[in-house]
Amino acid sequence: MPASCPFSKIDCPVESLKKAASKFRFQLAAGIGTVAAKLSKLAGKGTGASIKGKIITTLAPNSFSKVLSDRYIVAVSGTNGKTTTTHLLAAAIETLVSTKDVVTNADGANLQQGIVSGISENLKAKKAVLEVDERVVPELIRVGHPEVMVMLNFSRDQMDRNYDLGSLAKSWRTAINKTEDLAPVVVANACDPLIVWVAQVASQVIWVDSGASWTRDSVLCPACSAMLAADPAGSWSCTECDLKQPEAQYVVDLDDSTLKSLDGNIYRIDLDLPGRFNISNAGLAFAAAIEVGCEPEKILEAFKTISAPAGRFSTIDFGSCQARLLLAKNPAGWTESLQLAKTDPLIMPIDALAADGRDLSWLWEVDFEQLKGRKVICTGARAQDLAVRLTYAEVEYEVIPDLRKALDSVSGQIDVVTTYSPFQEMLSMGGLR
Amino acid sequence: MKIVVLFQSVLGIYGDHGNAIVLQKRAAWRGIKTELVFVEPGDKIPADGNVYLLGGGEDKAQISATRTLLEDRGLFKAIENGAALLAVCAGYQMCGNTFTVGDDPTVIEGLGVLDVDTRRAEKRAVGECLSSWIRPDGSEYLITGFENHGGATTLGPKAKPLAKVLVGAGNGDGTDGAQQGNVIGLYPHGPVLPRNPGLADHVLELALGKELEPLKLPEIDLLRSQRIKAVRH
Repeated sequence: MPASCPFSKIDCPVESLKKAASKFRFQLAAGIGTVAAKLSKLAGKGTGASIKGKIITTLAPNSFSKVLSDRYIVAVSGTNGKTTTTHLLAAAIETLVSTKDVVTNADGANLQQGIVSGISENLKAKKAVLEVDERVVPELIRVGHPEVMVMLNFSRDQMDRNYDLGSLAKSWRTAINKTEDLAPVVVANACDPLIVWVAQVASQVIWVDSGASWTRDSVLCPACSAMLAADPAGSWSCTECDLKQPEAQYVVDLDDSTLKSLDGNIYRIDLDLPGRFNISNAGLAFAAAIEVGCEPEKILEAFKTISAPAGRFSTIDFGSCQARLLLAKNPAGWTESLQLAKTDPLIMPIDALAADGRDLSWLWEVDFEQLKGRKVICTGARAQDLAVRLTYAEVEYEVIPDLRKALDSVSGQIDVVTTYSPFQEMLSMGGLR
Repeated sequence: MKIVVLFQSVLGIYGDHGNAIVLQKRAAWRGIKTELVFVEPGDKIPADGNVYLLGGGEDKAQISATRTLLEDRGLFKAIENGAALLAVCAGYQMCGNTFTVGDDPTVIEGLGVLDVDTRRAEKRAVGECLSSWIRPDGSEYLITGFENHGGATTLGPKAKPLAKVLVGAGNGDGTDGAQQGNVIGLYPHGPVLPRNPGLADHVLELALGKELEPLKLPEIDLLRSQRIKAVRH
């Protein structure tokens, strides 16, 4: 806390007065943050959630643990699908208690500041459904003691920040190990070996077979470093130690969009969202919502109300074209999004700011060769990196560095597969942010 | 021409696959027939390849891949027969006499095809990098890339530094990478050849033992000038 703040000088022997001062400090900080967020929004700089969170956490440094305390927390983390899963889960939990009793960081701001900012929107809410960045998970578990923790998947993402997936997974595992009797009930994707290695230390785990076939992102066993192998049914196991795909309480069938529970019930997952991966996300959200106490039928109805979580999959009318935004942040996300992108031409805005990941090496992990026969409009600050990738993939392209001009160059329905910063820019341009 | 990609599933975490694509296409566009072979742990390593590629991987993968390559011997036979090897990042460290990984001080025996030794650097190097490489014909060529490693590499008398660092960390002593015969190792990770077609053609020339006609691809020149300008800014 800066020395200039008068409240830092309170030195009262009476504990209750101290508490009151601390509460007052937080509320004052939240008030200032709200004003700043409104100014930021007026200035056209996004939702203002980040600035608000930054102000609160600066003025009241313990605000992260403060907003988490005395609240029933359901947290969602993993590399891909966090935002959508959080939206699905929040909608489901709102069927259980009134909307004003649930708070969520709906805009996808998932670092400490974003979480503080999100919760400060509704401090009276007893339940918080939180999207949590992978790096924040250990601290959240330590200070927030979530009741339920959803673990989606681990894949390579922004390696300029997360050097080693194994270390990231280890930090989660250690955090769960240390919580002992305050450990969350973990709802975990049984198809992901790293997730299984983390979740298996929790005292209570609900395994969900997400239907997502095992990817080569984790070819070595997280427990013993031996090779992993898959049986013909797609179930993985280690060739040396005991680690293997656990038997799941819920099994997602991606081909017919259903979820089968261990007690024999089959539920149809009907979403207003594209993509098989969202059926997987819904499977995990369903299991978590049941754990929270929601009714199966109500959960499924609530899922149908989610169509563009934080702008993902939304269609924006830019005048000449109507652009469907497919956000892709890493090779796994690009692989999923390219399968959804159907139009010809396609627009692909590429940037490499901190929020996108500063290293574009991943461009060479994505199978752009599948776009042969279609034309790609490369745009954004790093359009030329994509242009060279497409040259070697022998895919036709045009480079229009300016995003607005690229959007104006086409007409009708168009799919836009984009990295994070241009995605946010298009939401702003379309007035959705 | 046979291009062998070694252990892509565990040593390909930064889009290292791009190097194989670039070598294959640049050979093919010049009318050279190519074959791309992916060798995974458990497979026998063919000794009849012309170019071998080793990429970057996580610590555990780096150690187990080194052990497998030492046991198999196929790569060593190929190098004796004149094949070229391009190794980046963790792959470069593996090529040395010894290396350590992460915070663990245990010294691990490397492949010994480059006379270099790698230990933990004081600080991790992450970011765009640039170095100056003097080509066999004496001309200067800038190598642009992205490095992300925690190693400091010392060269012995048999290896010569590949390039002089202009921006970034490289080996940690002002140089980057090493060359010894037909083996080249360097720190810029993953797809280093897409940004550096001059280096790609050098690897092809080493493997084929002949000079190649230049390819005109202005889109790559434009990318190079953008990246070089950005990193010097």
